[in-house]
Amino acid sequence: MPVHLQGPWSFLFGRLTLHAIPYDNVIILFAFTLAAVAGIAIVLPVLYFKKIPYLWREWITTVDHKKIGVMYIIVGLVMMFRGFFDGLMIRTQQVLADGPHSPHFLDASHGYIPPYHFDQIYSSHGTIMILFAVTPILTGLTNVIVPLQVGARDMAFPYMNALSLWLTAMGAALVMVSLFVGDFSDAGWSGLIPLTELPFSPGVGVDYWVWSIQISSIGTTLNAVNMIATIVMMRAPGMTWFRLPVFTWTTLSTNIIGLTAFPVLGVALAMLSCDRYIGTHFFTAGLGGNLMLYTNLFWIWGHPEVYFLVLPAFGIFSEIIPAFSHRPLFGYTTMVAATFAIAGIAWLVWLHHFFTMGAGPGVNTFFSVATMLVGVPTGVKVFNWVFTMYRGRLTFETPMLWCLGGLFMLLAGGLTGMMLAMPAIDYTVHNSVFVVAHFHCMVLLIAYAIFGAVIFWFPKVFGMQLDERSGKLFFWTFSTGSILVFVAMFALGFMGETRRLDYLYDPHMLPLLIIQEIGIGFYGLSVLIFAWMLFVSLRNRNTSLESDPWGTSRTLEWLTRTPVPFYNFAVTPQINARDELDWRRRSGLDLSHPDRFAPIHMPGNTMIPILIGICSFGLGFGMIWRIWWMAGGGLLAIIALVIFRSFQHTPGYMLQPGEIAAMERRTAASGIIAEQPSRPPLMEAGAH
Amino acid sequence: MATHGQDPLLHSEVRQASTGGYFAGYAASIVLMLAALLVTQQHVLTYPAFLWVIFSLVVIALVAQAALFFGLGLSPAQAWKSVSLILTLPLFVFTIGLSVWMFHSLAPRVMPDTMPGMDMTQQPTLLE
Amino acid sequence: MAIHQRPATPDSVLWQHEAEAHDDIATRTLGFWLYMMSDALIFAALFAAYGVLDQTTNLAGGPGAHQIVHPLAGFWQTLAVMTSVFAYSLASVAMKMRSQPGVILYITIALVLGLVFIGLELGDFARLIALGDGPDRSGFLSIYFVLIGTHGLHMAFGILWMLVMIVQVARSGFTPSIVARLLNLRMFWQFQASVWVCVYAFVYLRGAF
Repeated sequence: MPVHLQGPWSFLFGRLTLHAIPYDNVIILFAFTLAAVAGIAIVLPVLYFKKIPYLWREWITTVDHKKIGVMYIIVGLVMMFRGFFDGLMIRTQQVLADGPHSPHFLDASHGYIPPYHFDQIYSSHGTIMILFAVTPILTGLTNVIVPLQVGARDMAFPYMNALSLWLTAMGAALVMVSLFVGDFSDAGWSGLIPLTELPFSPGVGVDYWVWSIQISSIGTTLNAVNMIATIVMMRAPGMTWFRLPVFTWTTLSTNIIGLTAFPVLGVALAMLSCDRYIGTHFFTAGLGGNLMLYTNLFWIWGHPEVYFLVLPAFGIFSEIIPAFSHRPLFGYTTMVAATFAIAGIAWLVWLHHFFTMGAGPGVNTFFSVATMLVGVPTGVKVFNWVFTMYRGRLTFETPMLWCLGGLFMLLAGGLTGMMLAMPAIDYTVHNSVFVVAHFHCMVLLIAYAIFGAVIFWFPKVFGMQLDERSGKLFFWTFSTGSILVFVAMFALGFMGETRRLDYLYDPHMLPLLIIQEIGIGFYGLSVLIFAWMLFVSLRNRNTSLESDPWGTSRTLEWLTRTPVPFYNFAVTPQINARDELDWRRRSGLDLSHPDRFAPIHMPGNTMIPILIGICSFGLGFGMIWRIWWMAGGGLLAIIALVIFRSFQHTPGYMLQPGEIAAMERRTAASGIIAEQPSRPPLMEAGAH
Repeated sequence: MATHGQDPLLHSEVRQASTGGYFAGYAASIVLMLAALLVTQQHVLTYPAFLWVIFSLVVIALVAQAALFFGLGLSPAQAWKSVSLILTLPLFVFTIGLSVWMFHSLAPRVMPDTMPGMDMTQQPTLLE
Repeated sequence: MAIHQRPATPDSVLWQHEAEAHDDIATRTLGFWLYMMSDALIFAALFAAYGVLDQTTNLAGGPGAHQIVHPLAGFWQTLAVMTSVFAYSLASVAMKMRSQPGVILYITIALVLGLVFIGLELGDFARLIALGDGPDRSGFLSIYFVLIGTHGLHMAFGILWMLVMIVQVARSGFTPSIVARLLNLRMFWQFQASVWVCVYAFVYLRGAF
């Protein structure tokens, strides 16, 4: 039954030969040089300052939710940079390849990228931005913040949390490897069927796409289990459901979506793999396959995934806007209800991604109405934010700017979304860049929320604020880029530009394409300013901060020391109000700190998650190149590691009151980049 | 992490185990599936009626297993499991029901000659 | 809104020095239950695919359900999986009674019955493949094999898990971790029975009509 492929195959290396490395491609060579230089720039100082033991002990084997969250965000930001570069290349290709007399460079007949390579670029741009940039960053933010917001010491399953991180990171690593070893998929981020089938994509590109998503989405599903269990089981005394911060509520609903939607994606991709590896006929054009079944299953995941991403962004708005309006959030209960309404309706709208499939009018109407219904709870949320600001004392720190910018993006993306919800309009603009501009507005709103959140919570984690001046410059350049690129893109959509074009026939589009290119230039500038912002903030850092450096934050996470110690709360807080910190501040109790401490039980570090991660990388890489010994060995090693771990005693250790008191006095020594005191592990309590 | 010093066997979920309950769940499952098998072998029902009977028997069997095997209920130990199951159940209906519905509405429009009883001259129009 | 909340009084409690430890076993069983909800969606997606690929066009000239399923033979599988689940359930009663040998004995019975189930299923698969009606024959047979095979794969993992638990119970008795794992395995195994009820009714019985 295994499908026989043409071309060389060896037992040791599978389909992998030296030809798989595109050393003759100038662009990839450039990308490789860039990655290599960046890699050396990171690795050399680490070696020079002998930081490998520190990295291993404090980061790679850690089970601390804050460090794991930070690593998620770093993975996401690196991948976002890669995705941005893909976007830059797409824009540059289109502006160069407009009209029959457009110039050509390298080995392209128009522009500078040949079609096959261009197809890989937009496929990786979409896959990376959604699954390997935005998803990990949001997962990281929820990882850092939610346990603090519910008053827990860590996630419900700290070990599994590390495992989720490493699975996601290895999925991202597979995408990066595909740049230099073999190809990436050229079938779009959603896997256009039957293009992804073996006869049409006989190379390894689609396999890279399948396995990188498959591995990282297992990580996302495990994280969803962890997050829900944390919110349900680990809340501090007094933290009743209707005292939960809204960000925690949105995290809960988003992870309910993650828990239930990702398995469907797994099934769709697994069926595609069956078609490609053992010759089944799920989605083939002949022998009883059904092409649209793939599209159906993909979007059963794909649409809830959109809300999986946008709900935490809404949660971030709901935290930042009250903090900088000096008012409590307007309409807390309706906000929670709207969150769950969106999460529920998310499951009833997926067909609007393929209205043009040709299902009956009843079906299209059902999904059209359901799609429009999403506008109702979203509208409730927008009005709640606006009413929060109404008559508030607004201050425009950088996080607030990002939220306000995000609201404009939500408006543009949401209203065009309402247009697209009508099948009649959708038939007209289907697969045009109008749709692309619409969903970029939506994803940009998430990016805006992310930047706002990173700046807002940065001091909580690292004990220093980011530079406001460069931060505002970053916001304005980024927003200028967004406006130039996407306003022009909406117009181009109406002019009839379809998606995924490596060559545009119509010279009249050139002015708008040039505007887009200028816009992407602003984006490039904003990336540099972002780096500059980090540098300036680090140079001028002020690490002696109060618990709440903004002075107006309201929720529980700001109650701990800043930077937050690795044990989170020296003593578990008793929750008395919805906005606990605000309540304590108004009662003059916000500077009250516990006077005595009890021993704290902490989980010990473990290297099993990173080992499982490496094995899953081997499994994926082996399957992609059909190196069966590597794939089988990876799978067996994963199973063996899981069993080995279940035989280990993992009792953790106790932190003694004296140590806690000392660390509470010198908070800088207990922040997350500080080295933790080493300590002998406990004997397992209750054994035998 | 270890539970601090408590005997794990005193945990409510361990104490929940009961031979009688499990046997009832076992017997119910077997009897209901046997009934479904007999209904199938008899060939006396029309297809829709047969589907309804089978579907009902499956639902009863699943409810019996939820109550007797899993011991789901509203006790504090089980409440969150019940809630998460109730929140997940509609998703099964959406996933399976809407998929089947949309493809059944699609088939007569895109594959008229392969649908039994479908005449090429009588294609449904958009204004059906 | 927060404004209307009671202000602090001198006896407001701000810190919980004696916060009770979180219920570790309940957290683990809830986490595992949530994983099972996720797993159930895998089966939901497979059933949706089965519902779609169950048309005449999807047979591609190959055999349909009524030609390959045998409800009576399937009933023996039903009997095997249900009895196995019942045996495992008795193991959890034995755990309540603190009987290590009882737990090991009943898990072994459950394990053997699980093997019987998988043996019957593999026999079915081998027969079909020998006739040339493997998963690469038609779209319908693809989903038939993958739906039933996914359930079988779950059973196989359950059996591997049981082997591990037999060793752990024999070695270390009832530690909190082992008790939590035994409870989770019970849910996992019972869940396979629930999935099988659906598979049996909608593939075997409905197919045979």
